[in-house]
Amino acid sequence: KVVLRPAVRFCSHRTAAEMALRIPVQKVLCVAEKNDAAKGIADLMSNSRMRRREGFSKFNKIYEYEYHLFGKDVTVVMTSVSGHLLALEFMDHMKKWHSCNPVSLFEAEVQKYCPDDFVNIKRTLEREVRQCQALIIWTDCDREGENIGFEIIHVCKSVKPNLQVFRARFSEITPRSIRMACEHLVQPDQNINDAVDVRTELDLRIGAAFTRFQTLRLQKIFPSVLSNQLISYGSCQFPTLGFVVERFKAIQAFIPETFYKIKVTHEHEDGLVEFSWKRNRLFNHTACLVLYQICMEDPMATVMEVGSKPKSKWRPVALDTVELEKLASRKLKIGAKETMKTAEKLYTQGFISYPRTETNIFPKDLNLTSLVEQQTHDPQWGGFAQRILERGGPTPRNGNKTDQAHPPIHPTKYTNNLQGNEQRIYEFIVRHFLACCSQDAQGQETTVEIDIAAERFVAHGLMIIARNYLDVYPYDKWNTKIIPVYEMGAQFQPTTVEMVDGETSPPQLLTEADLIALMEKHGIGTDATHAEHIETIKSRSYVGLTPEQRFLPGELGMGLVEGYDSMGFQMSKPDLRAELESDLKLICEGKKDKFTVLRLQIQKYKQVFVEAAAKATKLDEALSQYFGQAAEAVPQQEIYA
Amino acid sequence: MMATSGIANRVKTWLISTWHVKVPDPWLEACINWIQEENGSSLLQAEINKQVFEQWLLTDLRDLEFPVLPANITDSLKCELNGFHAVQMDSLVDISLPAYSQLQKLKGKDSTNEQVTCTTQQSQKPWEAKPTRMLMLQLTDGTQHIQAMEYRPIQALNANLSPGTKMVLQGTIVCRLGVLLLKPENVKVLGGEVEALVAEYTQTKVLSRLIGVEDNTVAQHSNVQE
Ligand SMILES: [Mg+2]
Repeated sequence: KVVLRPAVRFCSHRTAAEMALRIPVQKVLCVAEKNDAAKGIADLMSNSRMRRREGFSKFNKIYEYEYHLFGKDVTVVMTSVSGHLLALEFMDHMKKWHSCNPVSLFEAEVQKYCPDDFVNIKRTLEREVRQCQALIIWTDCDREGENIGFEIIHVCKSVKPNLQVFRARFSEITPRSIRMACEHLVQPDQNINDAVDVRTELDLRIGAAFTRFQTLRLQKIFPSVLSNQLISYGSCQFPTLGFVVERFKAIQAFIPETFYKIKVTHEHEDGLVEFSWKRNRLFNHTACLVLYQICMEDPMATVMEVGSKPKSKWRPVALDTVELEKLASRKLKIGAKETMKTAEKLYTQGFISYPRTETNIFPKDLNLTSLVEQQTHDPQWGGFAQRILERGGPTPRNGNKTDQAHPPIHPTKYTNNLQGNEQRIYEFIVRHFLACCSQDAQGQETTVEIDIAAERFVAHGLMIIARNYLDVYPYDKWNTKIIPVYEMGAQFQPTTVEMVDGETSPPQLLTEADLIALMEKHGIGTDATHAEHIETIKSRSYVGLTPEQRFLPGELGMGLVEGYDSMGFQMSKPDLRAELESDLKLICEGKKDKFTVLRLQIQKYKQVFVEAAAKATKLDEALSQYFGQAAEAVPQQEIYA
Repeated sequence: MMATSGIANRVKTWLISTWHVKVPDPWLEACINWIQEENGSSLLQAEINKQVFEQWLLTDLRDLEFPVLPANITDSLKCELNGFHAVQMDSLVDISLPAYSQLQKLKGKDSTNEQVTCTTQQSQKPWEAKPTRMLMLQLTDGTQHIQAMEYRPIQALNANLSPGTKMVLQGTIVCRLGVLLLKPENVKVLGGEVEALVAEYTQTKVLSRLIGVEDNTVAQHSNVQE
């Protein structure tokens, strides 16, 4: 018996069974987000018996087969787009950079159009839909996917207004989940589509206005350095850059201080034990010296407390996108963008579940046992997978987040045929999954607290009793640290009692994982877009990478952030954008209206723009710190002329 | 004149027996005269006692030039202070934490972003987590300066005590390298402050000096960041 997945957010609509078909269906057009996905889905639906045809676009094939849908056998025409089919632009007379004052871009008329590269895809859809009575949207089940779905609907309905439209909901390209999607077709989600439309329009207006403003101005003012440089602005890009600059400045502003501590060692027949001071450290030489002298006058140590308690190292939580990006960056040294590109490939090939998810809780009805079983053949981790099954089955460690749409990232099919990063990411996802489904590592922690002249010192030891998940998860380290047995009340002469000093150190430059963590913390972008924004600030030379792969702001990046900061705006701070993101979420949930949000946000950013333009010389001043004397001040009006 | 002296003697006795506070005669008499001028001469003794004590709490003990602490106490490597000594605290600072981070906190700078580092699983050693506060106090009896450290946690003290606060040191206190080792039973805070010191020894200024920056330059620094 097949159990339904928990009702996903999108499923608040009627299911296909309840949706009376207005027109009997013989032929159904199915459109996936990418050719790989179309092929994978067609392959599963047709049991590899689909017929392949060419479309107008040579990258987007057409697959045809018979399938039982809507209670009867129908012909399915499966094809694909390549991501977004339509784009948003200003009307022709506003497109030229010098055509208008950028402030007018906040209200100028915009239109959706099909970029040249995608016209052939559009033609395929227009041709194919003519013979079909129904359209099923098979794009990725995330915000962008929903929006792409509506673009497809728009194109198809223009040709065939009475077309009946459905949405397939799936998180993985596996037989079960594709079958479930077909049996439970829903309606496309207008709210989600609205949210993406709002974001797209705002990004266009804000991006275009600020980009034109700062590019035109700064090219004129620093012609020798910037004459060929596009100085783009984006409401996610800038806060992302802001984090990098903020960290850099925190390091610059940092003042190191000397501290002092007392260190005690005891050479025991079982090894050297190091005791650390319970006061940790003092930032005053005399105070530490006083206490040190007291200890030295009577250094006999007395064991005051001996403790031993079980300690576990927790296995990893079910994997969501942000964790995947962070862990891949840290443990595999693969950047977020590459990670997501690779993960998406693995997904369309059916090896893993949909990699864009905020969920770290496994749904109750997901058959984890069979997923673990699939992995038992692997020469490396197969034995571990087998042991999970032999010891009572998978016991996933869940987190507390769910997007109500996709399960945590997990392997959906076993393979040993991958190469390069695809292999490494697949292996990571499998190991993470198996670790998550196994048991925490168990150890016994011992503590010994001693007293020397009324100062307290502690030593810690760790004995690993059961490695459990660590056996399959080499990305975590846990080391045994043996300390000998000390008897309560025993006394001994320490081998050394030393006063040592050290210095406080500044925070480190951000790693990509840190940057993603900050973006997530402040609601900049979504799990789907973090990697892109980071890529943008790199490609614009706003930031660079140190040899240790840490982010360092470039001169242009520093100057821009300082310039806007000195105007008194929080443009490099996350708040403005975070408000927008939370409004978008409310649109998705049907709690806020598209037009209200659009009007409000345009107003907000327009006001910031007007003020920024009025204080434009602040930008020049900030940049002249890095690029030398500004060319003669130019009134802002003359710049657009 | 005789009357004043009688009152003065009674105040003096009262200050010592109630508060362990000793004051020089000329100051005491000038103080009583001033109180009587302000309030008329019909004040009750108890009222005068109270007002003199309040005046003393607000006085910079340097102005009294009246030694209370044993001479040259800071010179010996190790000694003990016994009995009762009313002293003034000029400033204090927590030496268990870096001055820099304390300053940032005082300036209300949100440094939580700085704590975001590349650890998804906390690797901080739990036993190093929370150092206990140790206040270092600059004390004076008006003629001699001495430092004191919070050897054991003392609830009566906190970093917000006003510069110029008066306190009584009592019991047996070990003194090493010119530093008194205070335990809770050694300190009784009397209160008060010294106006001139309040401006000079704000926490911000004390901490700034410790890390060698002028208070205002630090302020500028943080403005740029905000
Ligand atoms: Mg997608």
